[in-house]
Amino acid sequence: MKITKKIVNKIEGEASLKIYGEEKVDFVEIEFWQYRGVESYLINRPVMDALVINPRICGICGHSHLFATVKAIENAVNAKVSKKAEILRDITVGLEIVENHIKWFYITLFPTQIKDKKYIFKAGEFAALISKAIALIAGQYPHNSYMVPGGVTSDPTNLEIIKLKDLLNKIYEKYQEKIMDLNLNSEDIELFFENLPKDIGKSINRFLVLGDNLFFKKNGDVNLVKEVENSSLSKNVLYNGEFVEVGPLARNINNENIRKIYNNYKNSIFTRILTRVYEGLLILEYLINKIKEIDICEPSYIKCGMSNSKGIAAVEAPRGSLIHEIEIKNGKIAYYNIIVPTQFNLSSSKDKNKLSAAQSAMINEKKEYIDSIFKCFDICAVCVSH
Amino acid sequence: MNEATIQKIKERLATLKKLPGIGQKSVAEVLEEHGFTRRDFLKWSAAMAVMLGLPTKFSPLIAEAAEVSDRLPVVWLHLAECTGCSESLIRNDSPTIDNILFNFINLQYHDTIMAAAGWQAEENFEEAMEKFAGRFVLCVEGGVPTKDGGEFLTIGPHAETGLEKLKRTADKAAAVISVGTCSSFGGIQAAAPNPTGVKGVYQVINKPVINVPGCPPSAKNIVGTVLYVILFGALPAVDNFNRPKFAYGLRIHDLCERRGHFDAGEFVEEFGDHGAENGFCLYKVGCKGPYTFNNCSRERFNQHTSWPVQAGHGCIGCSEPDFWDSMAPYEEPLANHKFASATVDATADKIGATILVVAGVAIVAHAALSAIKNPKE
Repeated sequence: MKITKKIVNKIEGEASLKIYGEEKVDFVEIEFWQYRGVESYLINRPVMDALVINPRICGICGHSHLFATVKAIENAVNAKVSKKAEILRDITVGLEIVENHIKWFYITLFPTQIKDKKYIFKAGEFAALISKAIALIAGQYPHNSYMVPGGVTSDPTNLEIIKLKDLLNKIYEKYQEKIMDLNLNSEDIELFFENLPKDIGKSINRFLVLGDNLFFKKNGDVNLVKEVENSSLSKNVLYNGEFVEVGPLARNINNENIRKIYNNYKNSIFTRILTRVYEGLLILEYLINKIKEIDICEPSYIKCGMSNSKGIAAVEAPRGSLIHEIEIKNGKIAYYNIIVPTQFNLSSSKDKNKLSAAQSAMINEKKEYIDSIFKCFDICAVCVSH
Repeated sequence: MNEATIQKIKERLATLKKLPGIGQKSVAEVLEEHGFTRRDFLKWSAAMAVMLGLPTKFSPLIAEAAEVSDRLPVVWLHLAECTGCSESLIRNDSPTIDNILFNFINLQYHDTIMAAAGWQAEENFEEAMEKFAGRFVLCVEGGVPTKDGGEFLTIGPHAETGLEKLKRTADKAAAVISVGTCSSFGGIQAAAPNPTGVKGVYQVINKPVINVPGCPPSAKNIVGTVLYVILFGALPAVDNFNRPKFAYGLRIHDLCERRGHFDAGEFVEEFGDHGAENGFCLYKVGCKGPYTFNNCSRERFNQHTSWPVQAGHGCIGCSEPDFWDSMAPYEEPLANHKFASATVDATADKIGATILVVAGVAIVAHAALSAIKNPKE
């Protein structure tokens, strides 16, 4: 049997695929060969240091890591947060997801079918507007530490909130005009599928949502997640003993519009891509309504104490459920564990009868489609190599 | 900067102009397509001249340099990092002229934004190495794992380590720019206990390296440095940590918008208090602005929108060597701890202590603090 080793880059780092089979993929193993060791250098540091270190796990979804860190600490020390702080956090985390989806679609995925630099510019223009909106509250993007256990450090004025509302509306309108409208029509998605079948890349059809931020509803218990070693420098992740798929399709599968697509194409590459792009619109809509509820007279921060305890939190990040777990002893970090969404989707199983979401999507498909199928999970090697 | 320098630059630009560009369109045409007029472009050149610390008479030259920026081949390597620097540069400070220029430079290899992937990408890389040997600028993002031969980071189909790839690429580069704190000094991966033995680029290659640290550095500092190389064909003036003086000549503290409160002894005592609501100085909640050389307070981020201190969180000192260890804890003032970094002399410790003990005498402290010059000039 022919075995090909394929290096996949342009996924914010790179992964290698060991592909078995001639024309079609009989079996595939996914490997990551980078390691940075964030969890190890968090140990024995003051708890608050995690807030500055953890966004650096990923320059692309640093807010999600910051949010998960803050929530893990808050769960450990029973902190309270004002509604205002919650909404502000929602805005930056939500916008980060929107920005990620746009960049993933045009910069990472698009070039697998269409080689045209103008789409990179297109993504850049959106990213600029979104980053500006995030920076209004958080100070800068990427990498900031404006969320702290008990709230946020920023105290936006009315003027800043007005600016933010304005920006959100502008992004929302531009999104409909240039990326996808509310009826899920998108010229660019159609262009992407010109030479690519829409029904390839069907996967395990087991969807998991662990975070309950934004409008997402969780359907699982974070305590049932288990991490196990695999043959590369990454780790496999199982939920209740099974591999699952996390991400936009998992959290929007019950959306009425997505259901219609799903009924036709099942959990294929098309449904997965369409849902991710559509989710951007849904989040913007949610934020535009949510920001109206901000009462700037509320406190941004409510003081909380540190105690010897453990905390675990899951949030919905751009690529899916992200878990942070902390143990605090005498104000210092005694234990820290991070499980990233890419680990869920890209676990590498040796057992043909028990495959991860990405493995399952690639098996039995033509080799020429592998790049697009693999990338439709919005892979991030940077966060895997934490 | 005399006439002879200007003449030299003109000659250099004339030589560059003779080289082929990468596309059918000129930089001017591409800018116009994106809605920038000639006037916008000249305004940008003047602003860039100011940022680079050059007299305004240099601004037409900067415009010319930008116009030939597609002649300069650039290879961008990703090592142990989080991609935050690329994020800062290619996607976030746009759609400005900086961003368009970066997209337009003759970028031969960049893992994230190039159109090629897989084997094709590897081929492009090898081809660029050969074709542009001795002529390309190498930008490195990320630290270099060195432990166990560097096996914690392998790239490409032959499992080449980041260390090997960097060495052979740097050997052929005309200039090496470390973009961000990771490639400059090792960054977060190099924080204690540094499990993968990460080092900065300058520690593993035998070539002068210009460091543009920051986590992430502002797009302005990255583009400014690249432009400087195009303009002068040489690296800009640097401090002892090889940081360009035009960007890292002053401390965050020197131009901070909250500086008046520091001088008046008005501090945020804890997040969310009266001081926080009123935008007081963040020193007591851990701001490392007095120990950090960078221009964030002047240039800001994301189209000049904001920066961390404006959002109520102190500077973490991200452009200083080993700051992950020496500046921690990040939300407590340094004066509580021994400050081990080589960047500031012992005075800083004493001054910090003075401020904490007698906050009211901040003005006196300030006077002394101002005596801390960039030690590496």
